[in-house]
Amino acid sequence: MNYEIKNVWSVLLRLFHWALVLSIVVLVVTGLYINTPWTNTTLEGSVSFPMACMRYFHFLAGYLFTAAVLVRLFLYFFGNRQERIWDILPVTPRNIKSLTTTLAYYCYISDKHDSRLGHNVLAGMVYIVTIVAAVFQLISGFYMLFPETGVWQTLGNALFTSQQQGRFVHHLLMWYFILFAFSHVYMVIWNDVKSSEGLISSIFTGKKFKQKNV
Amino acid sequence: MDEQAGNRTTNSGISRRSFIKSCSVAAAALGLSEAMIPKLVEAAETAKRPTVIWLHFQECTGCTESLLRGSHPDLGRLILDIISLDYHETVMVPSGHQAEKSLHDSVAKNTGKFILVVEGAIPTADNGNFCKISGRTAMDILAEVGPKAAAIIAIGTCASFGGIQAAAPNPTGAKGVQDLISGVPIVNIPGCPPNPVTFLGTVLHYLTFKRLPNCDNMGRPLFAYGRRIHDHCERRAHFDEGRFVEEFGDFGHRNGYCLYKVGCKGPETFSNCPSTRFNDVDVWPVSVGHGCVGCTEPNFWDSMTPFYERLPQVSIPGTGIVTDADSAGKKILGVAAAAVGVHAAVGIGKSVLKGKKEE
Ligand code: HEM
Ligand code: SF4
Ligand code: SF4
Repeated sequence: MNYEIKNVWSVLLRLFHWALVLSIVVLVVTGLYINTPWTNTTLEGSVSFPMACMRYFHFLAGYLFTAAVLVRLFLYFFGNRQERIWDILPVTPRNIKSLTTTLAYYCYISDKHDSRLGHNVLAGMVYIVTIVAAVFQLISGFYMLFPETGVWQTLGNALFTSQQQGRFVHHLLMWYFILFAFSHVYMVIWNDVKSSEGLISSIFTGKKFKQKNV
Repeated sequence: MDEQAGNRTTNSGISRRSFIKSCSVAAAALGLSEAMIPKLVEAAETAKRPTVIWLHFQECTGCTESLLRGSHPDLGRLILDIISLDYHETVMVPSGHQAEKSLHDSVAKNTGKFILVVEGAIPTADNGNFCKISGRTAMDILAEVGPKAAAIIAIGTCASFGGIQAAAPNPTGAKGVQDLISGVPIVNIPGCPPNPVTFLGTVLHYLTFKRLPNCDNMGRPLFAYGRRIHDHCERRAHFDEGRFVEEFGDFGHRNGYCLYKVGCKGPETFSNCPSTRFNDVDVWPVSVGHGCVGCTEPNFWDSMTPFYERLPQVSIPGTGIVTDADSAGKKILGVAAAAVGVHAAVGIGKSVLKGKKEE
């Protein structure tokens, strides 16, 4: 078969992706610690500050996560063709077709693969949901971090009614991210096995291999 | 009725010393400088005692009790001395028709001038049939008296946000005052019960500055509800150092460690409990070894329970299963892992079959 190399993902998108991966891993681990601190420093005067440190790393990773989300939102409108939101919203006939083809493909109903440069529309939709969840996650995070600061207080109270509800939403959304990461990694491997485009390496190199139209 | 608080303190049993002391406590709670204490004292002494009408609706009278039965009666007495309490079902002498009459007379005489204090939630389901006083619903009474007040103080979580009556499924449709009245300044003093010092501070603020104190966006005065309990709790050092009570009565509990793991809601609750404390003996729940239950927050009966867990439980729709978020999360993750396993197996199976066919 004849392949050609196509540039798909910009440097900024790849940076966004890995910043998000790194921050989510740190945030889930430190977040679980904040919820259920599994150590107990019964030795007084040990100056180890485990909770203070975990919270510190949680907030550092929180800022990285926020930066990543803002970059992705920017790319939805100002990125390259594959990165823009119009490429994945199921509003055009081309995109609706991609959605149904992909669903059938993933359910082993048909072997027809919707070969596009960017995301297929099913994946793209899940990513949009994830970014929306991320926006709620960071709002609830900053609401807990700066509870007395005007904007976060007003926004947080309007969205979640109280700190406790905000924290609950924050915790539930953590489970969304865990589930998302798990199924995302599986689907990526599955796709890489099924169609040899170099899907996995594309998030490192930005390039995909596409069959030349003969 | 032109009697002034200053005259009364001299012959009502409160010594000048404790009168000034109570004013200082209120000034400290309000975050005012020492230099303001004479102003507060002056306002409490000389301002014409404002007429107060105190309405009880769906409640347990705990707020009144905690206000009047402090271990040290001066605070309650002082409050009764700086206001002219025209109507309060628990402490007034008249009853029945006489009581009704004093309510009507006082409202008629002081329209636009009196302070209305509301204790308890207002049931609104079934046209408010769940709470009636002398044949009239709480809704009716509030709708008549509320708009005629100069300001409304909602005392307690019930009057502020509905309280326990409004807990899901809220059978009586209980609501707080702010959901039913508009156009009159309302200040919420939530708590179950709230600290009497916060109430006194609010009243003295009104007398001294002629307006209600600045509030957060839930209508709670910032001087008392402007900071999270967790951010000024005496056990905070144990929290940062990771020293926790694992269960009541254990080593950590006996040593005064942080109550986070046994469900303390200090991180989610705004109140001055750690600084103002209660009952003139300088205690508050956390100081005596029990976590905060978050009683100053809206919907606390729903969102802060289970009181000994960090987070509310999740109910999985359609199954009747109620569990904590983490075990639900782990189960869902397990289901997802199983689904992935099946999906991969089908894929491998299909390609094996296809491979055979192609041979
Ligand atoms: C994928 C992203 C994130 C995950 C999975 C996550 C997870 C968690 C978890 C599980 C908790 C413990 C809550 C509890 O159960 O009690 C927590 C707390 C918290 N998170 Fe996050 N979080 C994320 C993003 C953020 C962001 C972007 C911020 C903003 C800076 C943030 C700020 C906070 C704060 C302030 C707390 C409360 C800490 C405390 O009160 O001690 N989080 N997070
Ligand atoms: S707020 Fe609490 S103490 Fe006050 S009346 Fe309601 S239930 Fe009773
Ligand atoms: S006891 Fe409660 S309020 Fe105090 S530090 Fe621990 S969690 Fe925070």
